[in-house]
Amino acid sequence: MEKLFISRDSLKKLLDRLARNLNLVAPVKDPEGIIMFGPVADAGQVLLEYQNSTLPPKSFFFPQTERLFKFSYGQEGMALEDMCGSDKRVLFGVHPCDLKSILSLDPVFAGAYKDPYYINKRENSAIIGLACSNPSPGCFCATFGFGPDDGEGSDIMLTPSGKGFDADVLTDKGQEIVASYKDLFEKAGDSPRIAGETRLTVKKLDLTGIKELLDGNFELEYWNQVFEKCLGCGICTYVCPTCHCFDIYDSSKGGCDGERYRSWDSCMFTHFTMMAGGHNPRPSKKERVRNRFMHKLKYHIDRYGLAGCVGCGRCVKSCPVNIDIRRIISDLGEVSRNGQL
Amino acid sequence: MGNCKCDNPYLPYPATIKEVIDETVDVKSFQMVFDDPEVMESFKQQPGQVAQISIFGVGEATISITSSPTRKGILEFSVKKVGQLTAALHDLGPGSRVGVRGPYGNHFPYEIMKGRDLLFVGGGIGLAPLRSLIDFVLAGENRKEFGKVEIIYGARSVDDLCFKYDILDNWPKYDNTDVYVTIDRADMAWQGHVGFVPSYLEEVKPSPLNKYAITCGPPIMIKFVLQALNKMGFQDGQIITTLEMKMKCGIGKCGRCNIGSKFVCLDGPVFTLSQLKELPPEF
Amino acid sequence: MREIARDLLESGQVNLVIGYGRGTGILRTTPVFIRKPSDAGQLVYNPLCGNNLVKYLLDQRNKEGRAAVCVKGCDSRAVNRLIQDRQIDREKVYIIGLPCGGILDPDRVEGAVDPGEEIKETVISGEGYDLITAAGKYSFTMAGAGSEKCSTCQNHNPVVYDVMAGDPSDTPDIKDDGFDDVRKIEEMTVEQKSAYWDRQFSRCLRCYACRNSCTACSCRECVFDQVNTGWVSRSSNLSENTAFHLIRAFHVAGRCVDCGECERVCPVGIPLRVLNRKILMDLKDLFNTATPGLTPDGERVLGQFSADDPEEFM
Ligand SMILES: Cc1cc2nc3c(=O)[nH]c(=O)nc-3n(C[C@H](O)[C@H](O)[C@H](O)COP(=O)(O)OP(=O)(O)OC[C@H]3O[C@@H](n4cnc5c(N)ncnc54)[C@H](O)[C@@H]3O)c2cc1C
Ligand code: SF4
Ligand code: SF4
Ligand code: SF4
Ligand code: SF4
Ligand code: FES
Repeated sequence: MEKLFISRDSLKKLLDRLARNLNLVAPVKDPEGIIMFGPVADAGQVLLEYQNSTLPPKSFFFPQTERLFKFSYGQEGMALEDMCGSDKRVLFGVHPCDLKSILSLDPVFAGAYKDPYYINKRENSAIIGLACSNPSPGCFCATFGFGPDDGEGSDIMLTPSGKGFDADVLTDKGQEIVASYKDLFEKAGDSPRIAGETRLTVKKLDLTGIKELLDGNFELEYWNQVFEKCLGCGICTYVCPTCHCFDIYDSSKGGCDGERYRSWDSCMFTHFTMMAGGHNPRPSKKERVRNRFMHKLKYHIDRYGLAGCVGCGRCVKSCPVNIDIRRIISDLGEVSRNGQL
Repeated sequence: MGNCKCDNPYLPYPATIKEVIDETVDVKSFQMVFDDPEVMESFKQQPGQVAQISIFGVGEATISITSSPTRKGILEFSVKKVGQLTAALHDLGPGSRVGVRGPYGNHFPYEIMKGRDLLFVGGGIGLAPLRSLIDFVLAGENRKEFGKVEIIYGARSVDDLCFKYDILDNWPKYDNTDVYVTIDRADMAWQGHVGFVPSYLEEVKPSPLNKYAITCGPPIMIKFVLQALNKMGFQDGQIITTLEMKMKCGIGKCGRCNIGSKFVCLDGPVFTLSQLKELPPEF
Repeated sequence: MREIARDLLESGQVNLVIGYGRGTGILRTTPVFIRKPSDAGQLVYNPLCGNNLVKYLLDQRNKEGRAAVCVKGCDSRAVNRLIQDRQIDREKVYIIGLPCGGILDPDRVEGAVDPGEEIKETVISGEGYDLITAAGKYSFTMAGAGSEKCSTCQNHNPVVYDVMAGDPSDTPDIKDDGFDDVRKIEEMTVEQKSAYWDRQFSRCLRCYACRNSCTACSCRECVFDQVNTGWVSRSSNLSENTAFHLIRAFHVAGRCVDCGECERVCPVGIPLRVLNRKILMDLKDLFNTATPGLTPDGERVLGQFSADDPEEFM
């Protein structure tokens, strides 16, 4: 790993050049004040300090709606056209929780059946991480064993330091970028890294006993105290950087030609598990709320050995009825210690 | 975009319906052949596996491959008309173009069944997945590797019995193979047994010795069959069944078919009763 | 409010009280469902009680017994609407009215407080509130930190209730809403308007929180949950999202009580209220009607037939 430094001015130049030469995706604020990752044309728009974006950068690997292929029934039979390619792109300014979340998604889309749509985009993207100098009050990444300056998952990790950013080059992809824009980087100095301090301010919840509790107890009286206020909307799962559920459907105009799509879906929706004939194995909000938290705190760990929640705080901020995973975690901890709340 | 030449598991292989057999009022069997002979050759399913059938413009559905892998050159699916895709499929006849991808899921563990007796208990369209294993076990040289085969099958009425040619004609002709058929309600045209599958099972009372029981059918039937089998002395490890959950991708990505940490599409649909009892009671 | 709830539960008049409880941190409160008199102490009421709890009455539709619900002025119009639609039975609900001097917008309060704090007491002060916490007093004015919707509030006290919790609010009701928010958009050029709404709708996640929180959305089977309806698909993109919003706006026309809940819940800040208020404004102009839900026996504009209907668009 190479340790470099880039001044604020040089970083602006780097972003301008990346935007010109490749597709640059970075956090930007729209006129309504909503922070989102989006394609940017010039460095001026890019936020170099921000609290977590309303939506994670997930959609640049796993878009909300994605065309899988086109089909047409013609004279010569049926033709399918695969739509799984991807352009080269640089994702800039990704916070450590979002970096970790991408690592949590990777094994879902890999495995015995490789998902070419996700994997192509992943392979064709370089990620420049950005440490958080001002974590939001909802953040609790420390709970999952990392902090606001953790670079794992990025190709280059930037951490505010002195008059610019320390740049840790972590992978070959990162090395390639540095090599192409050598003039902009310097050798790292010894100014202290600012995010070192923010590490202390991020909330660390105690996960002790929770996995074990959920392993042994599918039915818990506790869920009865949580589900009733849930609206069954898709917010918590759609703002979550690690949620990966989708639905597949066809759209065709005229009957002969058409396309097959996938779109995000959510286990909080009634229709998610509704089967033909009307049987629904998760008939009420209780089963659905339980499934979401079980997935975050147990199932994902069981399947992939990785946390299903990275503590980004987005669902905490956006849930309209204040179903707060931080409170769920501390309540479940309490239940595991005392058998009840 | 669209520039990638990879193995894309979401892309169905074009196939053509060769023959359609009316099984009951709402069940039809479809024999299909891949348009590309190489695909036909390399499509290697195991008994109990499923495929995703596409009608382009309508969608996809998960359907068990009911034909045994010993039957070369075609794939057969028996489909009950229940919703959008299945209804659209029922409207298709020979020559119609569809898409098929798979095979997906695990299969009936016939390796461990060798040398044992087998008891099949099926209800309604639930015979479809069992049939791939029954035909596999009965086929040619395979027959010698397995012991006695007993098949208990039932449906609501005579008209609801699927695969009548197999249950009434073909299967009973095999050595050491007994077929018991029942219908739920009495019918003038029916000389055979009348009663529900679980109670018929208790009447027939197959011995659990050196035997595997494999069951599939409507959830309520499965529930009582499992209880009856346990009562008759079958251990949980001897009992094998298949689970149904709503599916879309079939390959462990779309997240909807989970029961606890397991995806029915990848880790199932075949489970032993002991495995089932480890899973959360979500079905 | 706590005493009312305790009495109602103890006397068996109701078996459930739906109200607000402490949320996580100062910025949030959370809906609570109180079934035991001894839990009534969990209820709170402060200027961060933004949720409209009336939607939860729909979950009680087929349940035994009577449920009490806490409502602010704006929320109370929704109770009337649901009764008019026969979605709920007046006999099966007990309405605890809450006086309201306006709700604070958590996003506008956020920067100014330590989010870990808890509100110990709320004092109405001048045109706003003092929130008293262990760390001291935070003062907010409605002009500076209030919810947008409260600036046009026409009912600071519930229009229907069985009991009022506390003295009625003396904050003056706005009698003639100028619909300034709507007019501001109407003044835009066509291009500006379309750019504005395109930007909003392209952000939409189709999470359906707006629908699920809306008391006017009470259909058992919603068109947006079906696949292949031909009207609007499940794809999330500008054209489908626009279709979704226009269909929804027209579908709640004449039933939207202007409680602002859809806009409050939207995670990506889409100004949904102004969309619904455009229709409300036109309904008022065309038919000279009141905001839906203002009176218990009010008729629905679009649910009735009148021979002197201007029929401008037919
Ligand atoms: C492992 C497995 C094996 C199956 N084998 C057979 C079989 O051999 N023959 C047969 O007739 N049926 C079988 N089914 C059931 C069959 O998948 C559903 O009946 C079918 O998907 C309904 O599709 P539809 O479009 O007609 O219904 P709709 O109600 O219109 O459903 C829309 C979509 O939801 C999904 N879906 C709905 N119900 C189910 C369901 N019960 N299971 C899985 N996905 C569902 C499908 O993706 C379907 O396309 C099997 C299901 C599973 C899980
Ligand atoms: S937990 Fe909150 S965000 Fe998630 S579905 Fe329920 S109400 Fe919506
Ligand atoms: S569950 Fe909530 S806090 Fe955890 S990663 Fe998802 S959105 Fe972030
Ligand atoms: S099952 Fe629910 S919580 Fe898990 S990834 Fe899917 S939508 Fe998210
Ligand atoms: S709440 Fe907002 S993001 Fe969600 S569906 Fe409604 S408008 Fe779209
Ligand atoms: S069907 Fe998609 S994960 Fe199983």
